[in-house]
Amino acid sequence: MELIDKLTILADAAKYDASCASSGAPKRSSRGKDGIGATNGMGICHSYTPDGRCVSLLKILLTNFCLYDCQYCVNRRSSDVPRARFSPEEVIKLTLDFYQRNYVSGLFLSSGIIQSPDYTMEQLIRVAKVLREEHQFRGYIHLKTIPEADPALIEEAGRYADRLSVNIELPSPASLIQLAPEKRLASITGAMGTIDSASNESRADKRAPRFAPGGQSTQMIVGADASDDSRILHTAEALYGDYRLRRVYYSAFSPIPNSPASVPFQAPPLLREHRLYQADFLLRSYGFKANELLGATGNLPLDIDPKLAWALGNRAEFPVDLNRAEPAMIARVPGIGIRTAQRIVSLRRLKRIRFEDLLRMRCVIDKARPFVVTSDYRPRQDTLESTHLRSQLSDQPAQMALWA
Amino acid sequence: MRVLCCEDDFETWRGQARGLLAEGLPPHAVVWEDENRPQLFAAEEPAPYHGSGAVTRVPGELIEQLRSAAQYRMPGRWNLLYRILWRVTRGEREAMLAGDCDGSELHRRIKSVSREAHHLHAFVRFQPVTNAADLDYVAWYEPAHDILAGASLHFAERLGRQRWLIATPRDAVWYDGVHLEYRRPCPAAWQARAQASSGGEDRLWETYYASIFNPARLNRQAMQGHMPLRFWKGLTEGKLIPVLLSQARAGSQKDGQAQGVKGKRGKIIRPARES
Repeated sequence: MELIDKLTILADAAKYDASCASSGAPKRSSRGKDGIGATNGMGICHSYTPDGRCVSLLKILLTNFCLYDCQYCVNRRSSDVPRARFSPEEVIKLTLDFYQRNYVSGLFLSSGIIQSPDYTMEQLIRVAKVLREEHQFRGYIHLKTIPEADPALIEEAGRYADRLSVNIELPSPASLIQLAPEKRLASITGAMGTIDSASNESRADKRAPRFAPGGQSTQMIVGADASDDSRILHTAEALYGDYRLRRVYYSAFSPIPNSPASVPFQAPPLLREHRLYQADFLLRSYGFKANELLGATGNLPLDIDPKLAWALGNRAEFPVDLNRAEPAMIARVPGIGIRTAQRIVSLRRLKRIRFEDLLRMRCVIDKARPFVVTSDYRPRQDTLESTHLRSQLSDQPAQMALWA
Repeated sequence: MRVLCCEDDFETWRGQARGLLAEGLPPHAVVWEDENRPQLFAAEEPAPYHGSGAVTRVPGELIEQLRSAAQYRMPGRWNLLYRILWRVTRGEREAMLAGDCDGSELHRRIKSVSREAHHLHAFVRFQPVTNAADLDYVAWYEPAHDILAGASLHFAERLGRQRWLIATPRDAVWYDGVHLEYRRPCPAAWQARAQASSGGEDRLWETYYASIFNPARLNRQAMQGHMPLRFWKGLTEGKLIPVLLSQARAGSQKDGQAQGVKGKRGKIIRPARES
């Protein structure tokens, strides 16, 4: 099979994994050195595909042959898809070529399970090892970790990769049993634990070799099973706490060719995915707890963002006086982000905050208006009931696309 | 009205501004023109100002902010910078902050410039040079702001000892593996080499781009927000975008499979019998 045919199949097979970030790596440079590649912690999106996704890494599978039969996966063994397998050398050549032409900032390599989990993991490690040691490649490498692989192999993978990821796949253990019969929650979280403790040890000892400095991430599929948003966010919160994940990616379940009857054949729930990302951001950066955003059951509203939903449910906390409030509380005001909150705090050391200052700092003013007090402004809507306020502030319904 | 020209060079402007501050000339009495040409009011003798003549101390952070905002291309870009400098030296430090009316414009320009530098890092496309002894990669690029000089060393970090050239309509950089040479204007020969390489094909990359796209998640607005139309013509994959968009609209939205995979024969894997 020609290289170009393999690439067609193995990129198509890899696209259901949402993550493509090249961020979080330490600063590395090849200036004046043999080899190529640099990282600066930020990550670069070298292109965007028409689905609005960032192309940052060469994201491919080593092979889409797979012994597992996960119902949501296009590559499951019972799926009638074309199969292909790259040799490690082909992946290396593609990575270096794409990198030098400035198409990508590195490689995200994953694989179907062939022969055994250990064998598969060894193949992935080999690619990363040759890139790093023989080609002195200093670009970004993200390796998918096979949960059932030997912990010693996972530790080896972390010495070459900037980021490792083990997919949690589904938000509840019951769904995992039902839809991914060969996978076990215990081995998934076990692998996350192995990564976390290896990364801890490496940080504790400065002379120890670096271990996956970009940390670990995971992916949860949204909409393949019946789990609600509360279950999803609480699972994510637990993972952030237990294994210090950098990111949980939410992937709206996208219909696959040869779809089995056990999973929906519907357009992916993209708006739901978007709200989950917003809520996730509130967990990671704004100090919100999952319990504040959702009760023990239920879904995030689709018509308003989760921060606004929280504010409407907690009117007693508002309006917030921007000249007096704690910075963390200012950041909880709808329409005011963390950066703007910091700007307000540095500006108020010099002068009293007026309403026009908010306009200049480009707050989302319609959202912020009912919730803030400045030296020259008090919201008239302060006494307005939350239900009325919500209908004023919710996103207008959009025209559906013809083919959606 | 004093009329000055700094030929869009920050150090030249900085020298002029330092002189004006010492003279005590307020911002409304000076204007920077984009090119040296006679001005309608240039003949009018400005009223004399009596400055202290002392050298003013300016926070280093402000100089860096001004240097960065100066890369923002627009007619009359230098006048705002002097007004901010003037106000800060007069004790109005909020002129540097995003909450101030001048400061907010300053920060808007800084943000655009840094976005444009990031665009350079993202969207430059290097073509391998096969027929020359002095160069490994070459690229033609059209930035919206004057970011090339300040942002191109990034590629020396990426490409190690490889030698490369990036040419733009305004200026150019050539890295010989050790040193970076910046030229303004861009030498015609460099421009010709870079332009000859642009618009090339790369079947592998185009294949990857078409395959990694999920038509079931079509979202033109999000793509164009991140990668505005003006960049498409410089990208190898640019010509594919309209094709992929229309294919997705015409039916391949129902599942995510790439067109290139659809025609191929499938294979179901039978598990090996337990021994």
